[in-house]
Amino acid sequence: MRNPFRRRSAADLSPPAKVGAFVLLLAWAVVVLFPIYWLLVTSFKTPYQVDKGPFYIPFVDFQPTLDAWRYILVELGNDTLHPYTNTVIVGLTSSIIALILGAAAAYALVRFTYRPRVGIIGLFIGCGASAFVATIVGAPLPIALAGAAGAFVVLAQTIGRRFSRALGNSDIAFWLISQRILPPIAVVIPMYVLFQQVGLLDSLAALVVTYVATNLPIVIWLMRDYFASLPRELEESAAVDGASVYRIVRSIVLPISVPGLVATFLIVLVFAWNEFLIALVLTSAHAQTMPLQVAAQNATRGPQWWAMSVLILIMIVPVVLMAIVLERYITRGLLIGALKG
Amino acid sequence: MSPALASSGRSIDLEPDEPIPGRSAAGARATRRAISSLGAWRSDGAARWLFIWPTVLLILVLSIFPLIASVALSVSRLAFSEGSVDLKFVGFNNYQSLLFGTERTHFLGVLKAPNPIGWAIVIVVAALTARAFVRSMRSGRVRAIFLAIRLITGVLLVGFVWLIVGALASDGGRPGALIVTLTFVFAGITLQYALGLGLAMLAVQQVPFRRFFRVVFLIPLTITPVGVGYMFLMMTDTSKGPIEPLWIALGLRNFTWVTDPWLARAAVIIGDTWQWTPFVFVVLLAALESLDQEVREAALVDGASRWQSFVHITMPAILPVTTTIILIRIIEGFKIIDMPNILLGGGPGTATQSMTLQAYIDWNTLNLGRSAAIAYLLLILVSVVATAYVSFVRRRVTEIA
Amino acid sequence: MRKGWSLRGAGLFASLALLASACAPATPSATAPASAAPGASAPASGAAASQPPQGDKFKGVNVNILTFNGPQVAEPLQRRAPDFERLTGAHINVIAVGFQTIYDKALLDASTKTNSFDAYVFNPQWLGDFVGPGYLLDLTDRVNSDPDLNWQDIGPFFRDFNATYNGKVYTIPLDGDFHMVYYRKDILEKDGVKPPATWDDYLTVAQKYQGKDLNGDGQPDYGSCIAKKKGAQSYWWIISVAGGLLQSQGTQQGAFFDTKDMKPLFGPNEAMTKALETYKKTTESGPPDETNLDVGGTRGLFTTGRCALSMDWGDIGTLAIGTYAQDKTGATITPGWKQTLDRNSGKLVNCDATTCPKAVDGVNYAPFASFGGWSGAVNAAAPKAQQDAAFAFLAYMSAPKQSGEDVTLGKTGYNPYRTSHFENLDPWLKAGLSRDAATNYLNAIKASLQNPNMVLDLRIPLTKRYEQDVLDTALAEYLAGQLDASATEQQISDGWNAISDEAGRDKQLQAYVASLGVQR
Repeated sequence: MRNPFRRRSAADLSPPAKVGAFVLLLAWAVVVLFPIYWLLVTSFKTPYQVDKGPFYIPFVDFQPTLDAWRYILVELGNDTLHPYTNTVIVGLTSSIIALILGAAAAYALVRFTYRPRVGIIGLFIGCGASAFVATIVGAPLPIALAGAAGAFVVLAQTIGRRFSRALGNSDIAFWLISQRILPPIAVVIPMYVLFQQVGLLDSLAALVVTYVATNLPIVIWLMRDYFASLPRELEESAAVDGASVYRIVRSIVLPISVPGLVATFLIVLVFAWNEFLIALVLTSAHAQTMPLQVAAQNATRGPQWWAMSVLILIMIVPVVLMAIVLERYITRGLLIGALKG
Repeated sequence: MSPALASSGRSIDLEPDEPIPGRSAAGARATRRAISSLGAWRSDGAARWLFIWPTVLLILVLSIFPLIASVALSVSRLAFSEGSVDLKFVGFNNYQSLLFGTERTHFLGVLKAPNPIGWAIVIVVAALTARAFVRSMRSGRVRAIFLAIRLITGVLLVGFVWLIVGALASDGGRPGALIVTLTFVFAGITLQYALGLGLAMLAVQQVPFRRFFRVVFLIPLTITPVGVGYMFLMMTDTSKGPIEPLWIALGLRNFTWVTDPWLARAAVIIGDTWQWTPFVFVVLLAALESLDQEVREAALVDGASRWQSFVHITMPAILPVTTTIILIRIIEGFKIIDMPNILLGGGPGTATQSMTLQAYIDWNTLNLGRSAAIAYLLLILVSVVATAYVSFVRRRVTEIA
Repeated sequence: MRKGWSLRGAGLFASLALLASACAPATPSATAPASAAPGASAPASGAAASQPPQGDKFKGVNVNILTFNGPQVAEPLQRRAPDFERLTGAHINVIAVGFQTIYDKALLDASTKTNSFDAYVFNPQWLGDFVGPGYLLDLTDRVNSDPDLNWQDIGPFFRDFNATYNGKVYTIPLDGDFHMVYYRKDILEKDGVKPPATWDDYLTVAQKYQGKDLNGDGQPDYGSCIAKKKGAQSYWWIISVAGGLLQSQGTQQGAFFDTKDMKPLFGPNEAMTKALETYKKTTESGPPDETNLDVGGTRGLFTTGRCALSMDWGDIGTLAIGTYAQDKTGATITPGWKQTLDRNSGKLVNCDATTCPKAVDGVNYAPFASFGGWSGAVNAAAPKAQQDAAFAFLAYMSAPKQSGEDVTLGKTGYNPYRTSHFENLDPWLKAGLSRDAATNYLNAIKASLQNPNMVLDLRIPLTKRYEQDVLDTALAEYLAGQLDASATEQQISDGWNAISDEAGRDKQLQAYVASLGVQR
């Protein structure tokens, strides 16, 4: 058998360095996997066994039992399955939409130039605020919105032209990421009221829309860097050859940025999959998601470790599977092929 | 074109009509046609709006109303009366109680006179700030209004450092939520970036089982934060958790980390790092994998050491991604809540109570006004930090380019 | 040219999924799709012996009940819902959420007039916030005219104080919550030590057993285990410690504020100092991480035999079954004091016939009905059919026959609150308690329930802020050494005064007095 640590190219590490690298990687893998192992082991324990002290190996240290698994998967049955499917639907849908919209916006911010004028922005905020105030003092929502929109258009054409000071792409990008600064806790109740007004409380649609909006800034900022690091010459030569923007994006930009897209997708998926506070406030009976079930295991009687472990484990399985499938795309093989082709 | 320049987002400044010097007429026409289709690519009408407006619109719609509503909340008091919700305007009461009033010791902390080290820190910072201000004044390039802004900023900065020193480097001082959060953010980011970068560098090497490692390292990120909190609560339990035998073997049977404020904060930072390092790892991994290896291989073959190739080739190439990651982690890190809440409830006392946790406690007891006020103070603080970071980074990146 | 997952395909999928989710049940359905909601999918109790009559009284009515996802508390509701449906035709949909959020969800739902819940099974402490704005239905007439409910069988304290606000009945008790002290009966009897009658006794006993091996595994164990974790439910224990010092004239005297001027009793006075110091001393005889343990942790310690003493609601009694502590567990009324507070001077005075009229053997006991006990209430804004069906279901759950069985099962989380619960030992024996243990346990509960000086938990508007915000934080800071006793008392007093002033001191005083009043 050939030495797995052999040097494979001139730029590769030397075998002793490789062994060193391997050992370090293994060490961190242990750090990552041990708590997961502990979760697994705890899920096979009875409450009494959990309280008695640390038992590490099933059948050797303690007698494992399937009680917790049976409770979550069979007895609760539908009460577990329903939030689970909700999580899958909401997570996948919102991440895919966020990825599409966000990648488009990121590309636009990197390749096109925008010059939003400060005056127009100010007008927009002013009209928005007036609409809001109007609804508070009793005007019906559609009329307030229509009035504000009309006022904005008119004022933009007249006064708006006089303001020439403009912002740039990076300001737009900064505005986008600054949406993430405010902790969700400050906005959940207004969001509750917002969705209540449009009758979308306790619906998956509300969750999807909210997650897309909250995760877009992350997608945009991550993809901005990946797109920016792409050599322009490819796109320019294609443009000179007469390709349209859409063609360029589809045929050149996207294939090369697959590693970035995949990494971003995984991150945004995880954010949506595991989000807790917004789901807590916006849902009650029908649109509950899994993180709520995990947190709910903290009963007045104390956290039910065994059941909680089961829930956490079944929650991470699909994401890990997806990571396994998608990990191969975060490699450089594709890039080399595209460049030389 | 260097990646740094490309990432600055600036476009080529050519008007469609501008002639390219040194070409023949026909060639110039051809070039002009080419450039106008280039121009078409650069500012194609429909795509220009189609790509950006859905995003902007969605975020605008969903963020305006909650933003205005929560500002309104932060200057009011909530009450429930017969069949309705009362919002009474109380001005800056909520802010006042946090910064100067009953909640000051929880938010800012207990501030006492600094000890010698504290004095030293304050003096050094004040001196540096003064020097920077004087230099910008002398350079003559800066207008008066900006000088005034810089002066105010400088004073505020020194005041802020004074606050921190009064809580941390003094006799009997105790940090409040603000300073605790800052500790979490900066210690956490340092650790997460160092670990994430190190792991990413290791994971791109051709070692056996590297694909296994790359997937495994993602796992902590996939667990819901509440779940990670409870998991760490289990792990760090010194009486029935897995480290109990180790704890007893070290003779620490009667000692616990939950009663010491700094050990408690360390536990939160460790948990937070375990959870978020994969975020840095996966983004850097994708960036490293996208790098062109030929330059690096050429350098190594030419005799450069690995360290040199890392510092001069790899690092500059991933610098844009690095700055983005750190910015994102700063913004996210300031919102830390689940780890301190689940591990310790913000304890011992208020030693691990982050700002968002304090806002949560208020929110949970329906003190929505004060909760929103804390959130807005957080917003102001992080906006300042983020702006400072972005401008600092932008200057540096263009310097390197 | 690689396309990978094509944009078009992903976009199509995404829009289809979005469409599907938007069309998915966004409004609670009138009939009961078994797969769409968490709820009555638990197997039927099977306890229906003879064929119960197929009832039609509430046929087609769907009732949404918001409660706590325990699994306790929700479990008996979910278990008995099918039986109720068979009896009356009403479909009960139990919506169970995490403990921290029941309050927020219920209030948000009612105050924004969303009204997706027809009834709540929640904490009667919150009546202060729910009754004022008129969110709850007045049940006074209904409870007095329902023979199956047997309202008079419910313990007087729960009837007159817990379920009543401002003279009207708003909740139906399903559970009786108050604190008791548990002790290792086997060890104390062996050493001839009596169960602690006062808190000084408690400290003595705890110190005696701290560090000894109490369960034969060679490891040193602890004298006292009381959960003190911040942000959990620990702030109630201090009330149990301080209650006997602060209240001696009976429940109507109240233990939180002075009924004349709303001055916080949890403020700078000798009683509070003594209570805080005692509370802190119990930590010295406990596990090293006691300040980060919540109730689950201390129960685990007691049932594995590692504590000589502990304080808890009724749970340890039933949880001990099947553990090391089975048949070794004794229960007793929460210790009292031989002193009490003179509210005018702020000083402690000795107990005698005038100062402590309710004392037993010279000790002023003040068992604390902490939290109150899960109770059912009906949404005043729900449609009449739903209101009637919800009331009928809650009455069914509370009726002696059903509740008598539920309180003996540890998994329900319901503890005894009716006189009939004590009179019959059989369900307890069936649950696994020995005759001795059952008698001892029930006697302790009876002594607590029948004590005329029981402390009623705070039930005025903004209760949560008084307790979970100010009291919990100050207590945690005290235990961590960030504040000393007098600074703690000052902080609690200042915090409570600030809340009272903000809400209107007179209004709060009125509400406080109203919550203590009783009209039969």
